[in-house]
Amino acid sequence: MHLPKTGLLVLLFLCNTLALFAQQNISGKIRDAVNGKPIPGVTVRVQGTNRGAISDASGNYTLAVPSGTATLIVSFTGYKTQTIKMTPGSNVGDITMEEDFAKLDEIVVTGLATSVKRSNLANTVVTINANQLAGTAPAQTFDAALSGKVPGALITANSGAPGGGISVKMRGITSVFGNSQPLYVVDGIFFNNSSIPAGLNDVTGAATAGNPNNQDNPSSRIADLNPADIENIEVLKGASAAALYGAKAAAGVVIVTTKKGRAGKTKVSVNQETGFAKVRHLMGVRTFNADRAADLAGSADNTDPVIQQRRQAFRDQYNAAAAAGKIFDYEKEMYGETGLILNTGLSVSGGTDKTTFYLSGNRRQEEGIVKNTGYFNNSVRLNVDHKLTDRISLGVTMNYIHSNADRGLTNNDNNGVTYGVALSSTPDFVDLYPNELGEYPRNPFAASNPLETRDKMENNEMTNRFVGGGNLEIRLQQSEHSSTKFIGRGGVDYFNYKTAALFPRDLQFEENALQGHSIQGNTNNINTNLGGFFANTFTPNENVSLTSTLGATLETGFMDNIVTVATNLVAGQSNLDASANTTTRQFRQKYRDNGLFIQEDLSLLDAITLSGGVRFDRSTNNGDYKKYYVFPKAAASWNIARMKFWGVDKIQSLKLRAAYGQSGNVPPYGSKFTAMLGSNIGGLPGVLVDNLLGNADIEPERQSEFETGIDISAWDGRINLEATYYNKRIQDVLLRHALPGSSGYANEWKNSGDLRNKGIEIGLTVIPVNTKNVRWSSTINWWRNRSRVTTLLIPPYAIGAFGNSLGTFYLEEGEPATQIKGTVGGELKLIGNSEPKFQMSFFDEITVFKNLSLRFLIHWKKGGDNINLTQLLTDLGQTSFDYDDEMKGQKAGVYRTGAGDASIYVQDASYVRIREIGLYYNVPLKRTNVVKGIRFGVSANNFFTWTDYVGYDPEVSNFGSNTITTSSSRGSNGLSTGVDVTPFPASKRASFHVGVDF
Amino acid sequence: MKNYFSIITAAVALLLMSACQKGEINSLNTPVVGNITSNPTRSDLFNLVTGIESGMRNNLAGYLDGVGVIGREIYRFSGSEPRYTTDLLGGGSRVLDNNTFYLTNPWGSRYQVMRQCFILLEATNNARTAIASDVQKKAFAGFAHTILGYQLLLNINMTDSSGARIPVRNGAALGPIITDPGIVMDSVLKFLEEGKAELTGADVMFPLSNGFAGFKDAAGLLRFNRALAARVLIYKKQWAAALTALNESFFDLNGSLNTGVYHYFSTNGGDLANTLYLAPNTNGEVRVSHPSYATNIIPGDDRLTKTALRNAPISQNGLTGSRDVVVWNSLNAPVSIIRNEELILIYAEAKIQSNAIPDAITALNRIRSLHNLTPYAGAITQAALITELLYNRRYSLFMEGHRWVDLRRYNLLGTLPKDRPDDDVWARYPLPQSESNL
Repeated sequence: MHLPKTGLLVLLFLCNTLALFAQQNISGKIRDAVNGKPIPGVTVRVQGTNRGAISDASGNYTLAVPSGTATLIVSFTGYKTQTIKMTPGSNVGDITMEEDFAKLDEIVVTGLATSVKRSNLANTVVTINANQLAGTAPAQTFDAALSGKVPGALITANSGAPGGGISVKMRGITSVFGNSQPLYVVDGIFFNNSSIPAGLNDVTGAATAGNPNNQDNPSSRIADLNPADIENIEVLKGASAAALYGAKAAAGVVIVTTKKGRAGKTKVSVNQETGFAKVRHLMGVRTFNADRAADLAGSADNTDPVIQQRRQAFRDQYNAAAAAGKIFDYEKEMYGETGLILNTGLSVSGGTDKTTFYLSGNRRQEEGIVKNTGYFNNSVRLNVDHKLTDRISLGVTMNYIHSNADRGLTNNDNNGVTYGVALSSTPDFVDLYPNELGEYPRNPFAASNPLETRDKMENNEMTNRFVGGGNLEIRLQQSEHSSTKFIGRGGVDYFNYKTAALFPRDLQFEENALQGHSIQGNTNNINTNLGGFFANTFTPNENVSLTSTLGATLETGFMDNIVTVATNLVAGQSNLDASANTTTRQFRQKYRDNGLFIQEDLSLLDAITLSGGVRFDRSTNNGDYKKYYVFPKAAASWNIARMKFWGVDKIQSLKLRAAYGQSGNVPPYGSKFTAMLGSNIGGLPGVLVDNLLGNADIEPERQSEFETGIDISAWDGRINLEATYYNKRIQDVLLRHALPGSSGYANEWKNSGDLRNKGIEIGLTVIPVNTKNVRWSSTINWWRNRSRVTTLLIPPYAIGAFGNSLGTFYLEEGEPATQIKGTVGGELKLIGNSEPKFQMSFFDEITVFKNLSLRFLIHWKKGGDNINLTQLLTDLGQTSFDYDDEMKGQKAGVYRTGAGDASIYVQDASYVRIREIGLYYNVPLKRTNVVKGIRFGVSANNFFTWTDYVGYDPEVSNFGSNTITTSSSRGSNGLSTGVDVTPFPASKRASFHVGVDF
Repeated sequence: MKNYFSIITAAVALLLMSACQKGEINSLNTPVVGNITSNPTRSDLFNLVTGIESGMRNNLAGYLDGVGVIGREIYRFSGSEPRYTTDLLGGGSRVLDNNTFYLTNPWGSRYQVMRQCFILLEATNNARTAIASDVQKKAFAGFAHTILGYQLLLNINMTDSSGARIPVRNGAALGPIITDPGIVMDSVLKFLEEGKAELTGADVMFPLSNGFAGFKDAAGLLRFNRALAARVLIYKKQWAAALTALNESFFDLNGSLNTGVYHYFSTNGGDLANTLYLAPNTNGEVRVSHPSYATNIIPGDDRLTKTALRNAPISQNGLTGSRDVVVWNSLNAPVSIIRNEELILIYAEAKIQSNAIPDAITALNRIRSLHNLTPYAGAITQAALITELLYNRRYSLFMEGHRWVDLRRYNLLGTLPKDRPDDDVWARYPLPQSESNL
């Protein structure tokens, strides 16, 4: 969190202890030191008092100062804080501010109620501002906007389906079966990010054969958040920074701060984005000829007369189709649509000294690259901050979201019904287009006609969500050397999530089987969080400052998911009761976590920071719900350049830092029970023991992270280097480990080993050019992670994908947690690793003549293997684009499927991608009364990719990332990304932007 | 100022108090094993029995598909699952995988039911006599032991000399892998014997589905138990004992071939549909008979109607089939566990092997005549009659999980056709990888 720009909170913390003496008015204009632009919103205050003013839209300020005032403090986010000594009776007048390139004065949240200047920070905390988030080339959803921007994270889009679905892994593998996704905190409210399946598995049967994990691949609920509302994001990557969030922070914390109003004239801003989305890449399809068509029936030398007849039939069919010009590219037909993007945002903000507000509305409407798919999101946000008295201030935030995604039917299935699986065996010479009566021909090469499925089915996710919270700060005590405040914070996140998957009875795969599916899910979820904190800052003299924090937190959650599956539908109906059969499943989960913590922060000479704290946590998901687990943390930093003896002018900051912290990861709900699942027969109700054995002694995973690094800022912040090394250990890893099948159980919950992640993160920001007319800043990040299973108390076992013969993730002591093993020549061998060798990103911003700016983000992922089963399926369906290329003396498609070598389909998924590129122009306006600003821009998102990977996109995950586990379906695990099974192809976007401020 | 303080303090205190619920959060969704076994109600016991009956159907299709494909009864084509045509047939250099669905799913499901049988045994044991009297408890135990034996038999059928473990009661340490299938089958027989002893004189109070129609009481379950024992005894070559068991079963030389015990399936809500049924002439997901099924059949044999000619043949991965499997005619069709036709053939086999040739021929002719064939006119030798027996077992018990096991028993797997040059006929599944996780 930056210090709010209004400065109101700053004013609040100061006590009006000085008697009012004779006053004097000072005024002037505040400008940028380099380009001379006026800066609005700068706080000017009298040191040691709550007296202050804020510059207006033209940079002007006026402040009444008591006589005898010695010092003014001038501060603004992104600029260096200035201390101005006053000579009695004089006016300060105009002030120029220097940009804080190194962000040394930026305030970073380190505890639940404390913050520290970046120059004294002991951890690396990534901050993403609005320009980087939505100001370059906006992504469809919030989660996608993080890609490539967080050093130390591996961010992977699960699917290109509208509505998002992203896996975020901070600093390697944090958990395998526990929560592996970071905690999202939006304005102090814990924002639920679960993915709840729509029950598509009833149609696809995806989880019925090779892998029992759910493969519906639903969107993540974090996607609901409107990126345009976000002021900035701070990312705490591991336990050493996030320890105070306790048992939810093991996978990192993403702290989102939304925009706030500013005292002054009301500002109205309208933004419009218009663009299009297209498929990023099509794999291509095999071109058939008469011989190839005949080979679909069996080889030419087969003596079986049936096969020879069949060969001739295919040959004839091909020749007839070719003669009639009916050779089709169904891949292009399915995935080749151009989707329209419309995104309209309106915000109104303003306020008075006492009350400020920010009100925004946003409407995003996007069509997918497949017909009948798309994403629609409406959201309204109101943030109000109010000062009740000098001592008490209250902030309230409210957000209503309605989102609606039509996601089509993709990914793995075992019934031949998803678009991709049907396409994989459909050759180009069959005609699948409807006749003049609108009847779709039956696809003789697959269980479904993908064009018919696309046109008739529906897979809709609709969310209505309310997120609201409040923040109360009370200054309990203030004296010259000590101030004490109480902060109370609470939030509620409620959503109703309605899924509807409709498959009419006349679809090819329904007409002779279950005759239609209407699968409707209804989920109500409520999360609350409540916290109270006391913080005391004791400053015996200007060189020493001691902050003590004491707090308690409570989080609760309740989810109720009901899915009803109706089959044998009344023709043309989707209502659940217009059916012959219905089955209903219900899953509820409930938890209550609470924690207590204390923290001490000591600052010496504004150069040395020492910090220590401990947190006690318990959760009803633990085996012993009463037991408190203890998670300590400690950190130290020393900014040598701030010491008196420092004599190197060019280097303004040279900081050594180290931090250590522990946090936990609570076991998933239900892991302490061995359930008896419903299993009925012939109208009799029955229960059958689950094949997942619960563990009444289950404990949270414990993560201990040590991080150390050096930060250098030189040449007035024009060169900044941050280098970090971390070693993150996860003990008592929660595993659903495989039991011998003969025990009657497939898996058991057990704390059964230790993982370790070691990594390096290096960030370099330089500003090579900074003149009046041209400014160029460039940030280069490089990071890598190595994960290893250091201890495994159970035998090594396969935990992901589809069995050894197709390549599987395999947990084994002493080996990388992300290794992929598979059968090669009848033996189980190491054939890959899903972890990238390293990643690198380049973010550049070039501004010319103050108003024209170019921003771009390039992301390079080197290494990291995918299990490419899309290629396997197209090989088996004999439709791969390179099927007929020669490989080892055979057709490539024949060789690859018959080699008995799983490593063939485990492939390097490296890529270099221009994630975002945007060019924006602020129209310079002469004095106008109504319009304050006009912006134009063009942007392209994920438009250019260079990769050798054969597939729609190297970023893919058949299993999703945080799909919930219910009593009847298994959710995703922390290792399952990178499995490619006919996904919804990823899209690229280009947009035109117009913005007007009033 | 003071007012604000007190109001806010009160509000915060109230909020904190109301938020601080106490106590454990129990399982909201399902019963939990520990609770159900310690002090079961009568409905708990019934629910457990129903769970056993219901659970036997899980992954049954995978089992029958697997042994059907390896035994060259059918081809299983699937748009999305290649391994039916690769691994199971040994296509290319493929072998059977020890950690893949066709093995692990049925294997796990069978042991899961066995686990449930032990849960039922434990719960029955702990039930108060007011819940179930001793004779009523015996019926629960007899049912549990009978199913234990049956489920273990299916698994050892898959892995044979790759081995299996004898299931143990709840909480006991797992035993070793036993790689002699004979010893495992002795355990199967032991479970069945225990079941027999318990069912004798027992009083069945629990409900069973109509798959058990005619066999729902203690006497019926006992006949079912003995029928299963007869099957195991011919596998064990204990011909006389097999005949004894048959006499205690529902074997009826002149009775309907289809009398027997079935897995009930239904598309009704909460029930399982029979996924062995695939509509004829569909594409993508297909079961077609192996071409040899139609070419090897004696002309006129009505068992050809267990398959139906497709409108057009279908091919995948170099294999082509032209007849759909229509053993099951709808998603509600039952699947047999054991029926009288098999018992007649068991009788014939035991008689041939005990050299009671005329009795054997009588039984074989009974089967032949009911399938529109003339009486047996071949050589009257044990060898010729065994060939005739295996022909009838092949066609009478098509896709009921027998052919592969029969050919293995008689060392005839080498006679199965290989359709592609690199194909293999597997003699057994490997032991699942998870069995080494101890």
